[in-house]
Amino acid sequence: MTLLSALGPGDPMIRVEGITKYYLGATVLDGVTLDIPSGSNLGLMGPGGAGKSLLLKIIAGLVEPDQGRVLVDGHDVGTLDAHKLAQLRFNIGMVFQNYALFDSMNVGENIAFPLRQRGGVPEEEIQARVREQLALVGLPGIAHQYPRELSGGMKKRVSFCRAVIPAPPLLFYDDPTAGLDPVTSSKIFIHLRRMQQDGGTTAITISHDIDGIKPICDRFALLDHGRLVFHGTRDEIEASDDRLVRQFWDGFSDD
Amino acid sequence: MISRGLAAIGGAFNGLAFDVGGVVMMLLKILRRCLPPRADGPETWANLYRVGVKSFPIVLVTAAFTGAIMVIQSGLYIKQYGAEGLLGWGAGYSILREVGPIMIGLMFSGRVGANNTAELGTMMVTDQIDALRALAIDPVSYLVIPRFIAMMIMLTLLVVVGDLTALVGGALTGEVLLGVDTRVYFESIVTLITLQDFLSGVYKAVAFGVAIAVISCHFGLTVRGGAVGVGRAVNNSVVASAIAIFVIDYFMTWAMQ
Ligand SMILES: Nc1ncnc2c1ncn2[C@@H]1O[C@H](COP(=O)(O)OP(=O)(O)OP(=O)(O)O)[C@@H](O)[C@H]1O
Ligand SMILES: [Mg+2]
Repeated sequence: MTLLSALGPGDPMIRVEGITKYYLGATVLDGVTLDIPSGSNLGLMGPGGAGKSLLLKIIAGLVEPDQGRVLVDGHDVGTLDAHKLAQLRFNIGMVFQNYALFDSMNVGENIAFPLRQRGGVPEEEIQARVREQLALVGLPGIAHQYPRELSGGMKKRVSFCRAVIPAPPLLFYDDPTAGLDPVTSSKIFIHLRRMQQDGGTTAITISHDIDGIKPICDRFALLDHGRLVFHGTRDEIEASDDRLVRQFWDGFSDD
Repeated sequence: MISRGLAAIGGAFNGLAFDVGGVVMMLLKILRRCLPPRADGPETWANLYRVGVKSFPIVLVTAAFTGAIMVIQSGLYIKQYGAEGLLGWGAGYSILREVGPIMIGLMFSGRVGANNTAELGTMMVTDQIDALRALAIDPVSYLVIPRFIAMMIMLTLLVVVGDLTALVGGALTGEVLLGVDTRVYFESIVTLITLQDFLSGVYKAVAFGVAIAVISCHFGLTVRGGAVGVGRAVNNSVVASAIAIFVIDYFMTWAMQ
């Protein structure tokens, strides 16, 4: 699926080039470079505070990097004019780490918001799709409730619904299963994989649930203290002898 | 020791420059999106309603007491010089031109401006603003413009209504405490107060509304650092609005005397 233009053959859907970001004198991202091929799902791992969420926001064009650039579908996100940027964003669905649900809207309105904003979808269809999404994540019949009435895990699932409802070709998930029980969690992961297989979406999935993302991602990256320690395919990560990579992948700590 | 003091002064100036620059930038962003005027209809109505409902009662109470206080203050001289016929003019002139807009502006900033900063600030720290941007929605068009319009219109209306309330409050106090007949009071208002007196207060209200809206939105949308940051921003927003009200008032009074 192309967004705004045709990519050359072999060009990655997302290219991250030397992204560096400073906060208050500290380097929180340090020259991060990676490619994400079209149709793949990158599993982004790393300790808390490594800079994963920040990197995702930079890729989505929500935060400006101090150095480096991000190309999405061949376009430099930092130099797009407002109109092009809006068009690009219509192609992105994003689950924020802390849900970012709109307080002033109920669950149904939150989920329907991207569709209403884009326009062109009849109201009955919007309602039907909202119901369908909520049922898929195991939360039928909560459309009239407000975010403040929900638990963390419920908000996470609502946030997931809002991101995927327009079926965007690009999906960025910041810890989509945080705070979920294992059953619901695997439901979400299965749903996520199905969208990628059926819809050909390109995705980035940040997660601390390594066993959860192992089966659904085809590429993996490990960020530590703002530096990309590893970036590659499943075979490559299994063969890596980096200590931190092994700790994350095999799930043990040696100290 | 000295260098630390200098650093603190430098930091304060940096902060001040950031906020003054930010407020000007916010005003420019708003103006750019007002030409041609387009605002989210439902959001604007919702804000007009909210702002009005929230501030109406408190403004009426403030205004009534302000009028009463003005009359009590002038009571001494009125009695001394037997100038009952000037009571309405004396109270009305200062209420309409000065005290009304300032008192109501300050109340409005404490109520509506503070609330606005807290709301936008919370949206900021909980990533709701980023979520809007990720959905290709410009937060200034979607959130700021409706609030700007609502605050400007509502403060102006509130000052008009507040002026009347204050005059009535003054009349009642004059009648009860000073024994000045209400008819005498209003007669002096009608004959001595000019349209210009009334309008200059209204112009001030418009300017205060703009200032409070722009300042409260700036401080809301630049919040950093969680709930603590929101609290700090609300504080700064109210202080900055109060300063802006007095500075604007100074210049407008000077220009419209
Ligand atoms: N607005 C900000 N101001 C200052 N520092 C920030 C800001 N945002 C992020 N940081 C810093 O950037 C670093 C990376 O934060 P980030 O949220 O990306 O981590 P993360 O990898 O997502 O962690 P987690 O797994 O806990 O979600 C942290 O050290 C954090 O302190
Ligand atoms: Mg994070």
